[in-house]
Amino acid sequence: MSAYQYDHQTIKGFIISSVFWGVVGIIIGLWISIQMWQPSWNVAPYFTFGRLRVVHTNILGFGFGVGAIFGLNYYISMRLTKRPLLFPKLARFHLYLFNTAIALAAVSLFAGMNQSLEYAELEWPLDIGIVVLWIIFAVNLFGTIIKRKEEQMYISLWYIIATVIAVAVLYIVNNLSVPAGLFKSYSLFAGINSANVQWWYGHNVIGFIFSTPILAMFYYFLPKSTGLPIYSHRLSIISLWSLVFAYLWTGAHHLVYTPLPDWIQTLAIVFTIFLIAPSWGSVVNGFYTVAPDWSKMRTNYLTKFFIFAITFYGLQTVQGPTQGLRVVSQLIHYTDWVPGHVHMGTMGWVTMTVCASIYYVIPRIYKTEIYSVKVANSHFYLVLIGQLIFSVSMWITGIQQGALWKAVTPEGTLKYTFMETLVKNYPFWQMRTVGGLIFAAGMLFFVYNIAMTIRSGNAISGPASKGVR
Amino acid sequence: MTDDLDNIEDFEAKETAGKLPIGWLILFWGLIIWGVYYFIAYTPGISGWSQAKAYEESVRK
Repeated sequence: MSAYQYDHQTIKGFIISSVFWGVVGIIIGLWISIQMWQPSWNVAPYFTFGRLRVVHTNILGFGFGVGAIFGLNYYISMRLTKRPLLFPKLARFHLYLFNTAIALAAVSLFAGMNQSLEYAELEWPLDIGIVVLWIIFAVNLFGTIIKRKEEQMYISLWYIIATVIAVAVLYIVNNLSVPAGLFKSYSLFAGINSANVQWWYGHNVIGFIFSTPILAMFYYFLPKSTGLPIYSHRLSIISLWSLVFAYLWTGAHHLVYTPLPDWIQTLAIVFTIFLIAPSWGSVVNGFYTVAPDWSKMRTNYLTKFFIFAITFYGLQTVQGPTQGLRVVSQLIHYTDWVPGHVHMGTMGWVTMTVCASIYYVIPRIYKTEIYSVKVANSHFYLVLIGQLIFSVSMWITGIQQGALWKAVTPEGTLKYTFMETLVKNYPFWQMRTVGGLIFAAGMLFFVYNIAMTIRSGNAISGPASKGVR
Repeated sequence: MTDDLDNIEDFEAKETAGKLPIGWLILFWGLIIWGVYYFIAYTPGISGWSQAKAYEESVRK
């Protein structure tokens, strides 16, 4: 068992790092939400909205999200392949390199180094580091899967494989650039080509970081924590392949009503709307899995995390494709509706699934029980309420913004100045900060619960165990 | 389910392993058919529709 214990130490490291970056990212999120209605909270030059916003997205997406993906998917693949990781030392090195990269990423963004490509802001030296990081993950994961002791591959493994391949292709292509010094580079693509490649990347990096690896967790930890087997293997496999096939065509829906050729926009919209089906395949599978015994929602505290998470995933995957339609896009694109949409995904679907998975894993690798189910329940209700306030207030103000921008007088001129439409956002932006505070309070309950569980686990195993690192 | 190593048999329901809910199948094929229609209707090279023309029409109204 010592090989497993060593890998578990690595996994603990990833989980704790992920939670740490999560806390940092949420604090910055709260800060920038205040900056939207209280400009004096900008502290030039390092703590202005322009720099903090990219730190927020990078730290939460790549620090919290990807950190959890590395740790939890190592855990899942060990279980499903019935063997320890093929290269345990490499995984440990992976952990250190990951934290170094995230820290350097944050520093470089604070310093204002930025490729000006959304979600691909990091300059080329860091890009190379991240590609190395990803190759290490791929080698260890694929190696472990190839040398597996269980012939049958469960659906979660397929979702992880899809993640690793897709992100590698996307990240490398969109970051191709010509260096001009150590901290500056110029993208290989220009003009409309750049826009098209950027959104092919931008949309899919969300798909393959916030959908597929999180679905891998969902498909694994839902049956594990409820004891209920997944309803349909076939549905899960068809959903996987159609999701992967359709996703990579959809990026251009971010460029509706731009100079991008009409046919590319139309093609992207077709695949975008089709994506509802594979996404809902997972939603249906999740609901049907718990359907034989709905009392689990009451008796098992993790079930409600997973069921609400998949419900938000379901809402997201209808809302998102609908936004791609021209008639909807022309109303809500470039408004605050968009962050409302994104945050239902990240705060509802991703964070809930990740937190529930961590709740499942931590007591098991520390050989103890969760510190408090009550605290976990408080966490659940707070993040649920906080997230709903956030999303709903942004939807309302987004529709309002879009309607005001489009309003014209009978003479055909704009009815409202930009300033008039902007000040109407203030109450909603303040409401968003309130929602964010409630969400952050919920996450504090989570962090406390995990910290106390780890503490009791360390107490049980005694000083002989090496602790976290 | 034992905790140390997973038994894949426990993960998937046996009786319903091959089921595809009818409602979901309708959604799946329905969206493919809709996609074919939409692509034909909104591709300038096929139907003659274009964003610029649609805009001019909306201004004329």
